[in-house]
Amino acid sequence: MRHFQEELNELQRRLLEMAGLVESAIHFSVRSLTARDQEQAQRVLRSEATINQMEIEIDGLATRLLALHQPMAGDLRFLTAAIKINSDLERMGDLAVNIVERAMDLMGRPPMKPLVDIPKMAGLAESMVRKSLNAFVNRDPELARSVLLSDDAVDDLKDTVYQDLIHFMESDPSTVAAGVDLIFVAHNLERIADQATNIAEEVLFLVQGIDVRHHAETAEE
Amino acid sequence: MRRHFEEQIEECNARLVHMGAVAERMIEKSIQCLLERTAEGHEEVFQHEGEINNLHIEIDERVISALALQHPVATDLRLLVMATKIAGELERVGDQAVNICQNTASLLKHPPAEVLTNIPEMADVVRGMLRESLEAFVRRDVELAQKVLDTDDQADDFKDQIFFQLLGNMMTEPPTIPRALALILVSRNLERVADHATNIAEEVIYAVQGRDVRHHHEETRQSEGP
Repeated sequence: MRHFQEELNELQRRLLEMAGLVESAIHFSVRSLTARDQEQAQRVLRSEATINQMEIEIDGLATRLLALHQPMAGDLRFLTAAIKINSDLERMGDLAVNIVERAMDLMGRPPMKPLVDIPKMAGLAESMVRKSLNAFVNRDPELARSVLLSDDAVDDLKDTVYQDLIHFMESDPSTVAAGVDLIFVAHNLERIADQATNIAEEVLFLVQGIDVRHHAETAEE
Repeated sequence: MRRHFEEQIEECNARLVHMGAVAERMIEKSIQCLLERTAEGHEEVFQHEGEINNLHIEIDERVISALALQHPVATDLRLLVMATKIAGELERVGDQAVNICQNTASLLKHPPAEVLTNIPEMADVVRGMLRESLEAFVRRDVELAQKVLDTDDQADDFKDQIFFQLLGNMMTEPPTIPRALALILVSRNLERVADHATNIAEEVIYAVQGRDVRHHHEETRQSEGP
């Protein structure tokens, strides 16, 4: 029995390690954008293969534990939550790579305008990712709920970014290509925040055994 | 016990098939509204979203209780894990249908674009992928699943064509910027539906063959493109 607990701890440790990689991928993707820094961009691209490999390993480990130990109740929910969080993290890694691709494209163009709201969005999204994972580790429903609340703020910022960029492009069509790149960056950041929200919902499901997924969505709309 | 377990898996699969049909309907309806320039079908899509979200929760609960009661191993376990993953993919397909409606709503504020680009063709390809991925799941058909993976490149090519065409329009005719952008976003929504269909197909191959095909062709296709 003790053995099983150790394996669960190991699973959580690896999930956290993966989350750390994903968090820095997000962080450096936005840094590469704001600093127009090729080196930071490459760093994110290099981490993608590692993140993908970790996803496959964690998925295998969680499935093996399900098969071998026939866990009950709490442990069972922990394992199914781990499988989902794992896949959410991997998708976030892909989104960070998307941001880097935009950043590299933008490096080849003249700077459009000082970026204010996008770094703000990125800061919020990063903190949502961190909080959702902390909520998972500490089984903290309050922290998980705070993540759900931040999602609205990210959506509002995204709308602001869209409107600003559309006006900018309309007044100076030579900025269209760069403007579209930035719109996609905002879009990807919004999706990262959505994934963090998914994780927070998984945590609430795990901690309370109740399903808040989708309830939050309808409440907020 | 064994018989009961098979019934549980069957019931779970039946719910998934139903969920798949709802997701397909949502995409079909949202695209129809886009092409006909109307918001009249949007309410139906939003109602289906509630339904699909409930199905997602229900399927997850069924899987967890089957896991708790039966302690399945090997293939059965893989099938159950696959069921929750496919339910997650379908729920996100539903989200994309809702996004298409939202982008259509912003399109309706502007005069119609002269050409709607290749979006109708792209929508056909993507809907075909979704349908075939679900059929591959129902029939445990690896070949059909493989076909879905192979079709993903077509969806990507459409997305790139649409993007370049609209980007050109935006540069030469700045007043078209807001609606061109909305159409670009619709093509991204469709692309993500294609990705979800691809994920479902990969799950089917994994469940049937135990062969993990995730990530293998990502380097060429996971990128958002130009």
